[in-house]
Amino acid sequence: MTAAELACPACTAAIAVGDTFCEACGAPLSGAPSPDAQQPAAELHEVPVAGAPAVDITAPIPRTVKRSAVCAQCGGRILDDGFCGTCGQKARSPRDHWSEQPAPWVGGVCDRGIVHTANEDAMALAATADGSLAILVVCDGVTSAPHSDRAALAAALAACGQLTAVPMLGASSVAACVNYWTEALESAVDEANAAAVGVAHTMGDPPEPPSCTFVAAVVAGELITVAWCGDSRAYWLPDAGPPRQLTVDHSLGTALMASGTSRAEAEADPSFHTITRWLGNDSVDHEPEIASQSIDGPGWLLVCSDGLWNYASALDEMAARVSQLSATTGSDPLPLAAALVEWANAAGGHDNVTAALARCDPSLRLQRERTSGG
Amino acid sequence: MAEFKAEVFQNEFLAEGATDVHAVVSVACTDAGTAGQSGHGEAAEIIIVDTSGSMDMPASKIVAARRAAKVALGEIVDGTWFGVISGHSVAQMVYPSHPGMAKMTDVTRREAVHMIDALRAGGATAIGAWISAATELFLQVQTAQCHAILLTDGKIEGEPPSALPQALRAAEGQFQCDCRGIGSDWVVDELREIANALLGTVDIIAKPDDLEADFESMIRTSMSRGVADARLRVWAPQGSEVLFVRQVAPSVEDLSAKAVQVGPLIREYPTGAWSDESRDYHVAVRVPVAPLGNERLAARVEVVVNDEVMAKSLVKATWSPDANLTTRLDPAVAHYTGQAQLADAIQKGLAAKAAGDDRTATVLLGEAAKIAHESGNDDTTRLLSKVVDVVDAEAGTVRLKANIERTDEMALDTRSTKTTRIRKES
Repeated sequence: MTAAELACPACTAAIAVGDTFCEACGAPLSGAPSPDAQQPAAELHEVPVAGAPAVDITAPIPRTVKRSAVCAQCGGRILDDGFCGTCGQKARSPRDHWSEQPAPWVGGVCDRGIVHTANEDAMALAATADGSLAILVVCDGVTSAPHSDRAALAAALAACGQLTAVPMLGASSVAACVNYWTEALESAVDEANAAAVGVAHTMGDPPEPPSCTFVAAVVAGELITVAWCGDSRAYWLPDAGPPRQLTVDHSLGTALMASGTSRAEAEADPSFHTITRWLGNDSVDHEPEIASQSIDGPGWLLVCSDGLWNYASALDEMAARVSQLSATTGSDPLPLAAALVEWANAAGGHDNVTAALARCDPSLRLQRERTSGG
Repeated sequence: MAEFKAEVFQNEFLAEGATDVHAVVSVACTDAGTAGQSGHGEAAEIIIVDTSGSMDMPASKIVAARRAAKVALGEIVDGTWFGVISGHSVAQMVYPSHPGMAKMTDVTRREAVHMIDALRAGGATAIGAWISAATELFLQVQTAQCHAILLTDGKIEGEPPSALPQALRAAEGQFQCDCRGIGSDWVVDELREIANALLGTVDIIAKPDDLEADFESMIRTSMSRGVADARLRVWAPQGSEVLFVRQVAPSVEDLSAKAVQVGPLIREYPTGAWSDESRDYHVAVRVPVAPLGNERLAARVEVVVNDEVMAKSLVKATWSPDANLTTRLDPAVAHYTGQAQLADAIQKGLAAKAAGDDRTATVLLGEAAKIAHESGNDDTTRLLSKVVDVVDAEAGTVRLKANIERTDEMALDTRSTKTTRIRKES
């Protein structure tokens, strides 16, 4: 059997050899992969760039993560039933917790959190090694609609896949760049929505269709362009200068604050987290809102779900938290993402937590460009 | 080929710091076949009939016993090893005449019937000696599936008190024994001790005329048990403690003391032979505390036949800060916890009454009436109403009846462990 013939037993979507869960529906997959047919650790896409040599975009997805045969808790053996034979600990499913680092400057962690029994967050990251392009997508499945974990993962992967196929733009004005990526992001949101709707179709279009939020950030040169639906967020947190929340939540909480309610009062309101825009079969309007930001100094781009920002809802709180944690973790995004997730879990982990980061440093990038171009 | 299914009912969510996990594991067997014909050894049946002097007082008892034993022979499938023991001050072979067993055929059945017709009453009651004799007979044929019926009408008085426990220690694991008491002069606790040790049932036959039908059904049930021996294999995590493993349907039988350690974390509990039937087990495990959000196994419960795992179920523990999840009581666990309390309240209540402590008896039997009413255990409610006047079932208020038939009290006692099944929601 070739890899192309493999299908998920739950939803019949195509799966790859070595997958531990279905990317379409999230169903756990068993069956040991044959060692000679394993996926490469990173898939290589050739992205043609106008007037420049082809650039590699590395986009690892959790398909290469395998369930460990050894218990993370006590070192015992994991039995066929998926639990440790010594302490009983459930073997961690890759869907419940995974990390990605497509390039040294881009990384993220997606985690189930403490309270929820399933991880309905999803992320998909892609980046070039030279620091010229990064794509960070985070989707948060709507808990009240069953199987939203599938919709979130399908949407994130679809958008990321679509964006990695977009050619780099040659030298252009900032306005032209913003327009270019806005169009690309709008088309990626269409793809993501179609993927979420597709999940609903495979489930026989349930009355409460699986649905999710969406936020995607593209770092292209010195420009960040962001598209979002719902209350997952993107922040630009420069090392020096004022931080900025690039997104504005599509939620009743935002509406409350816009009408003069204080943040504390709004957060106490049960409708604070009710989102007003989302992706899925019952989405009235999935047209994203777009924002852009130019990078004029080193800093962090943070893309996250509300499971993270719940514990630092105000912009300055989040900026202070990232600054405090990065003082220990340094400029590697992965340990910082892990530290942010750990912090949210320590604070209660009431929701799924996803933190994806890009370390943007124009001076370093230009240096690299000069070296490789010289 | 017999098939087993195991299904778990539990609330897996534990509050922060909680350690006790309760689950009801419902085990069902289908296609059990016939005893001695499933390819795992032959079957053997022994009928032990009390022929002590009191069986003649009134004579209707020995007459009924003879008739019932003959009906039982008719139900034993041809090819099964069998024997009949007459129990008085000693255990005496009725059939075959030598201490051994015979293969059931038309000829041996006729011969045995003839010998049973000649049974006469006389002598004392020495049940320990009868059990020992049966154990020896079963050892001679070395078959996989051994079952006995024991009928008595009196309490043990022809042997030292140590004889029965000693005999039971040797018999345990060798054969299963269903016990029946006829009349009202036998002791419920003595027969219960035997039935508990030998994985059998105990019941009262108040009217000699009912004996025949009861023997017929007991042998029929035994012959329909095509699975000779199934065990519950329970794995519990390192550092945990199995609080108890208790059969809760069709009756309450605590299996905890029967545990055999077969591995560092694994114990096995004998459940005896199976027909097409289902039984429920309440498993309680105290596990080490894990952090919030953790999901672990509290137990793996497997049904094992001839060292082959026939069914497996997982009892889980998930620590959650969500009180909506952690405070929920699983309906099956709650129901069977109540049924075990019901049996306990009846037995302790009757013991208090026998000791002259009417106040304690009234409180306990009142509690029993309340649980029986709430759980819809109508059979127990009916039995209770012959011993107490129920003033207010919902509040558990009862009055002890002035004149109680001794057999009614014994019926309540012997049947106190019978449970109703939970009404499954769907």
